[in-house]
Amino acid sequence: MATATAQVNYLEAKKGIMSWLFSVDHKRIGLMYLYALITFFLVGVTLGLLMRYELLNPGKDLVEAKTYNQIFTLHGVIMIFLFIIPSIPAVFGNFFLPIMLGTDDVSFPRLNLLSWWVYIIGAIMALSTLVFGDGPADTGWTFYAPYSVKTGTNVTMSVLAAFVLGFSSILTGLNFIVTIHRLRAPGMSFTKMPLFAWALYATSWIQLLATPIIGITLLMIVAERTLGVGLFDPSIGGDPILYQHLFWIYSHPAVYIMALPAFGVISELLPTFSHRTIFGYKAIAYSSLAIAFVGYFIWGHHMFTSGMSGTARFIFSMLTFLVAIPTAIKVFNWVATLYKGSIDVQTPLLYALAFIFQFMIGGFTGLILGALATDIHLHDTYFVVGHFHYVMFGGTGFAFFGALHYWYPKIWGRMYNKLVANIAFVIFFIGFNTLYFPMFISGLMGMPRRYYDYLPEFHIPNIISTVGSWILALGLILMIVNLIVGRFRGRKVTERDPWGGITLEWQTPTPPPVQNFDRLPELPKNGPYDYEHKPQIKD
Amino acid sequence: MAQSHDQHQDNHHDGQHHAVPYSEHVRTLVALLFLTAITVVVSVFGAALSTLSVFTALFIATVKVVVVAYYFMHLKYEKKIYSGLVLLVGVLFVALSVLTALEYLNR
Ligand code: HEM
Repeated sequence: MATATAQVNYLEAKKGIMSWLFSVDHKRIGLMYLYALITFFLVGVTLGLLMRYELLNPGKDLVEAKTYNQIFTLHGVIMIFLFIIPSIPAVFGNFFLPIMLGTDDVSFPRLNLLSWWVYIIGAIMALSTLVFGDGPADTGWTFYAPYSVKTGTNVTMSVLAAFVLGFSSILTGLNFIVTIHRLRAPGMSFTKMPLFAWALYATSWIQLLATPIIGITLLMIVAERTLGVGLFDPSIGGDPILYQHLFWIYSHPAVYIMALPAFGVISELLPTFSHRTIFGYKAIAYSSLAIAFVGYFIWGHHMFTSGMSGTARFIFSMLTFLVAIPTAIKVFNWVATLYKGSIDVQTPLLYALAFIFQFMIGGFTGLILGALATDIHLHDTYFVVGHFHYVMFGGTGFAFFGALHYWYPKIWGRMYNKLVANIAFVIFFIGFNTLYFPMFISGLMGMPRRYYDYLPEFHIPNIISTVGSWILALGLILMIVNLIVGRFRGRKVTERDPWGGITLEWQTPTPPPVQNFDRLPELPKNGPYDYEHKPQIKD
Repeated sequence: MAQSHDQHQDNHHDGQHHAVPYSEHVRTLVALLFLTAITVVVSVFGAALSTLSVFTALFIATVKVVVVAYYFMHLKYEKKIYSGLVLLVGVLFVALSVLTALEYLNR
């Protein structure tokens, strides 16, 4: 392996845009995902800020009702299908999974490139609704029938975009499952795998098995819209509740496609910055599988008010409470990992701690919504909007940015300005909570979601929320500018292990060579976080 | 890079390559054609069987899936864990369908 070409780092190995667009190197593909994802994320954020501006005061400020409906739909579609579902697996999974397993690429590098291209095509289709046809869909990202069958907006294209994006997700999942089964370094049994790999393994199974269901469901919408097949619209013999079942049979497990990789990231950050073994390795690893499994059977909690059967409501509510158990197991283990560790407070750790705090709020409010009686009052109010932003943005979003700050020096061989990064974090954190916490209050007061207008009694929480969105945007801009400046002018990092981490990516040169390793990776004696027997790697 | 990657993969597969006799492929193909023929026959006489014909068609299709996975997709020669995984997927599919159907029937 240690040939001359193996030493050239992956950033400099080849030059020119084509060497990126058609690269089968998992590291380059990971970065291409990163750039695309961040671009779409910023589009989504802009739409979010527009909505918050409209909601600053009751009545019409900026846009018409219908335009507002189109904005929240596009915001939802972009944030879910283009940002948060691919996020951690597509960027950091692609870049680091093979390295953490001690191999030189994923099992199917060409399929990997295909999945990026499919993702880009899906993204173009989704955004094309802005300019073609009758404008973006106005159904909400859930495309509920029968409205989605009847509205004149461009539902068909949005739905087909989500269909195409699903393939990208399936291909990534398939690739990771096979890679984890087949390409682990000699000596790395399943229980010696880093927890990030475990999390990706559980996630990949959901991507592989659940995504086809939404694919076919979305095609059924197209069939109903174009051919008049009576599947979901009761006026032509369909069943709208069937649509909700099919939609959530995918979309609830999809919540775990978003959450599990974030759990994986946190399980890497905490041992690194407390310099000690993770507490409860097996409990964390197996609870990922348990979450993935139980997560399949709780979709009905999105449908408590849909008119579905009472027995089913009861069963789904009970199952929903079950999923809190493996999640809590993780949280307890994370907190126990910090206990008596030698904690080194760096930016990535701050994101990890914010993750735990915010994800807990998201999780607990989820239990309130999972209880039948309270959900009747809170369904479709701003309480739900607060809840899912806390989970997806406060949870996975923060884990994503934590991961970005953590692996940044390894990826680019440079370090960002740590002070600025910490300041940006604080602003971002304050902005986030100012933006979303008031939504719980307005939700409890009864303010419904998905309206461009509201009654005057909801004014105060809405003002606070909108001001929060500006603070958040400020933190975000500062963070991104700092990262971009660091990429070109930051301090050069040449040491292999700038944070004192232990997993295999910290044994490779910085940035990694094309082949990932310049020598055989060494595994610690007792599992991946055995700091007592950490292999001493010299440059 | 790609070259070394392929080598890596080949190493992994080495112990698992099996020369499958052509006769086995042929037998599998004949079995699948036979099952297809039965499906057609059942659908022609479907009216007499009413709902039963749907179940028969589904049952035959399931048998065909198993045959394809087992012989053509080499599950037969893989470690047991892979058959286990495929079985688990089947169980999941059935569970999701049953749960949805139960909701519908209790509405
Ligand atoms: C600056 C950041 C953001 C702002 C200001 C923002 C704002 C909003 C607002 C105000 C709504 C509610 C619209 C309504 O019900 O009337 C909303 C909906 C939504 N947001 Fe965000 N959001 C942001 C980031 C995110 C992120 C990061 C995600 C996902 C990871 C996300 C996912 C969603 C989804 C799925 C909806 C539901 C859309 C629907 O009802 O169909 N948002 N957002």
